[in-house]
Amino acid sequence: MAIVQPGKRPAKRFEKSKVLGGKMGGGHKATNAELNVVPMVDMMTMLVIFLLNQFSSTGEVLYMQKDIKLPSAHHGQMIELAPVVAVSSEQIVITGQKVPYVADLDKDSGYLNIPALEERLRDEKKRWEFIHQSDPNAKWDGIVNIQADTKVPFRIVKRVMFSCSVAGYFNLNFAALDAGGLAATNAPSKEGG
Amino acid sequence: MGGGAMPEQGGGGKKKKKSLDATINVVPAIDLLSCLITFLLYAAVWTQISRLQVQQLGTGAPDPAQLEQQQKALIVTLAMGERGFNLSTSAGTTFEVPSLGRTPEGSIQFDLKVLGERLKQLKNDYPDQSAITVQAEDTVAYGDLVSVIDACLAVGLMSIAVSGV
Repeated sequence: MAIVQPGKRPAKRFEKSKVLGGKMGGGHKATNAELNVVPMVDMMTMLVIFLLNQFSSTGEVLYMQKDIKLPSAHHGQMIELAPVVAVSSEQIVITGQKVPYVADLDKDSGYLNIPALEERLRDEKKRWEFIHQSDPNAKWDGIVNIQADTKVPFRIVKRVMFSCSVAGYFNLNFAALDAGGLAATNAPSKEGG
Repeated sequence: MGGGAMPEQGGGGKKKKKSLDATINVVPAIDLLSCLITFLLYAAVWTQISRLQVQQLGTGAPDPAQLEQQQKALIVTLAMGERGFNLSTSAGTTFEVPSLGRTPEGSIQFDLKVLGERLKQLKNDYPDQSAITVQAEDTVAYGDLVSVIDACLAVGLMSIAVSGV
C-alpha cells in the first residue's frame, strides 16, 4: 500500500465535485490574500485627529527641564516666542547658557541686578536690533519669558525681574503649566502696557 | 490591497447587470495618512505651557498723561507674605486673609479660596478696575505667586504689576 499524507481522504467520487472537492482539500487555494485595511485607515484617521489637536504652530518655546517643576495656572495666555530665563533651585539659564548659580546670588553684595544675566539679555536685545535694523515697522516689545521652579523664592525671581527690566525687557511673562485651556483668557496680550 | 468589496458577478439572465459596487484603492490614502502622522508627531507639543503677563512696578519713565490718569484711578495693592494676604485700596478699604500655616515641607499655605472671594467682591464694587499691584515678600515661592496672579486674572484684574515689599 502506498504511503499517503495523513488527513481527510475523500472518496473518489467527491474529488471532482465542485461542492465538496474544495472543502476536502482537493481544490486549489488562491495565493493572493485580500487584506482588510479599513480598520487600519480608521485607526490612522483617529491618530491624525488626535495629533492635529496636539499641533502647535509656534512649536515648543519652552522646554521642560528636569530640575524645573512649573506651577499650573488656569487663566494663562498662549506663550510667545521670546528669550527664556530658566530659574531652577540651583542655577539660572538664559537661552541655553548658564549664568550664575543661585547659591552665589545669596552670597554677593546684595545689589538687585544680576550682571551676567543682564549682559546676556543686552546681547539678545542687540541681536534683535541687528536683525530688525532694516525693518522700519519693527517695534521693540521687550518680552521675556521667565520659567522658574515652583519652589524658587521671590528674592531670586525679583532679581531676575530687575535684571530683565534694566536690560530693556519690561514685559515679563511668567511661565506656568496650562491647566484650564488657553482659550480661557481672551485678554489682549499687551493690555495694561 | 483594495479594501472595497469584490464586484458581484451578473445573474443568469442574457444581459449582464452592471455591478453597483466599486473597489476603491485606499493605498494613496494610507500613504497620505502615514505622511501626516509622521509630520504631526514631529510637530506635536505634549506639554501645554501658558504665560501670565506681569509688569515690574516702577520700570520706565511714566508718561505725564498716564501718570495723571493713574493718580485719579483706584490703586489696589495685594501684599502677600508669611502672615497671609493684605488686600488694600487707595479708597481706604483693607482686607486681611491670614495664611493657613505651613505645609509639612515648610512652605506657606495661602488661603486662595478666601482671596478669590475678596477679589471678586472688589471687582463687583469697582467693575472698571483692571489694575492690581502684587507685593510679595522674599520668602514667597514662585508657585504661590503664580497662583495669586492666576486668582487676579480669574476675576478680571488683567493688568498686574509685581514688586517686592
